[in-house]
Amino acid sequence: MKRTLGSLAVIAILLGTIVLAEVQLGKITREDPLGHELLYLPSPEMLKMISLGNPGLVADVLYLWSIQYYSYYRPHERFLYLETVYNLITDLDPLYVDAYRIGALIMQIQTGGDQEELEGAVRRLFDKGLRNLPNDWQLAEAAAWDFFIRFKDRETAIHYAAIAAQRPGAPPRIKRMVGVWRDKENAWTLDDSVEYWRRALEDAENEWDHVLCMNQFYDAVTARDRKTLAPLLEAFSTRYGVCPESWEDLIRVGALRQVPTDAFGDPYGIGLEDCGLVAYKKFKNQ
Amino acid sequence: MRAVWAIAANTFREAVRDRILYLFIGFAVVMVVSSKLFGMLTVGDETKIIKDIGLAAMQFFSMLIAVMMSMILISREVDSRTVFNILAKPVRRWQFILGKYLGLVSIVAANLVLTTVVLMLTVRVVAGEVDLMLLFAAAMTMLEMLVLAAFATLFAVLTRPILGSLMTLAVFVVGHMSADLWLLTRQLPGALTRAVIAVVYYLLPNLERFNFRTEVVHHLPISGAAVGWAVLYAVAFVVVILSLANLRFRGKDLK
Repeated sequence: MKRTLGSLAVIAILLGTIVLAEVQLGKITREDPLGHELLYLPSPEMLKMISLGNPGLVADVLYLWSIQYYSYYRPHERFLYLETVYNLITDLDPLYVDAYRIGALIMQIQTGGDQEELEGAVRRLFDKGLRNLPNDWQLAEAAAWDFFIRFKDRETAIHYAAIAAQRPGAPPRIKRMVGVWRDKENAWTLDDSVEYWRRALEDAENEWDHVLCMNQFYDAVTARDRKTLAPLLEAFSTRYGVCPESWEDLIRVGALRQVPTDAFGDPYGIGLEDCGLVAYKKFKNQ
Repeated sequence: MRAVWAIAANTFREAVRDRILYLFIGFAVVMVVSSKLFGMLTVGDETKIIKDIGLAAMQFFSMLIAVMMSMILISREVDSRTVFNILAKPVRRWQFILGKYLGLVSIVAANLVLTTVVLMLTVRVVAGEVDLMLLFAAAMTMLEMLVLAAFATLFAVLTRPILGSLMTLAVFVVGHMSADLWLLTRQLPGALTRAVIAVVYYLLPNLERFNFRTEVVHHLPISGAAVGWAVLYAVAFVVVILSLANLRFRGKDLK
């Protein structure tokens, strides 16, 4: 009995020592390896071989690890090899949508380092995802928004949004989003805009989409007409010292052949305050 | 054929008595814990991870059964001398081998049925979907196990229990690597080397031919021809390997 109690006491002391040692070891700060451990990640080919037919599972394990690893806040050095890690995951499972999406998201959180290089890395990851997932419009839309919001790169955003809009199953709002963004582009003329929205209107998939495209089409046509008619109104004002009261005044002096009409065929008005074109958008779902 | 079924049923009963099916409980624990754990750890679709883990665990536990059973499949009958009682009856040696093989296959099949049910239930609870393609993945894993079980039977006849298990495990490992090794050897110089490796490649089973897990997890289309050829490939391998096992067992001195 005595010996048993003695043995139990020794075991208890040793267990206490283990816990104490573990706590003390945890307190000692060690040099940050700065991601050096990532240098020893095997190649995707090797990982595929040793996964014994389960590369998807290895991709999952790496993905879960990467989320934990990169979620822990550290200086920007922590994000070393980020592209390598997500390339590895997506080589193991090229159809892993979350890996592309979350990998790009983690890259964007990074604040230090060369931002141009970072943008390039995000773009490469998205491009790889879009190549491997040719029917996935969600990833392309995510890429569009990431470039629009995080990098303020509208050109790239439009590029991805246009890809998303062309993919099967993409909701009509993406096509509209492309149009709205393009309308703000300098290189995008009013004729381009009218043509884009005319096609969008033709392709509208449902009533709601039709209404919204019609609205955009109306605005595009109005903007184009406003630009076309502005010099005529200005010339009349300069010549006669007053703004024309109606379009008939312009017809009478030979500047116009007929009353200009909006996208619905209703006549425009003339705003006497600024002597500009006024559109009376009486919304009709046509 | 009655003798074959009797031996198969007895092998199945023995395996159940040896608590082989307890592995299924291990699988259930893996599934429940992983679905809870990965729900907390991952960002995005956890169903994909659950399916990956479930299908890999399904394959792993089935392989474990084949490897473990290889140890006791024949040696126990020989060591306890019960093989003489069996063969003294109107039971031919090929019937004994076939019965043992079918017994092993049935215990693997029982395990696969149970693990598939657990996996489907887990996916149903976590994602709210009933993924019938998991049944297909399980069926293809069964096809892989039919081949592995044939090798387990052959090695049980050929060698001592531990060595037989290790060799079955080796076939499993090599079977999943052979396609990659084949590609690597394409880089080698010399036609003779490549020819030798080609012979080895065709003699060993390429177990990746039964692997449709990626297609199932990502809901990709599956070629009917790939499935058909895989079935033929498995059946041909099983027949060849069991014939070899029978040839060896026929001439074996059991004393």
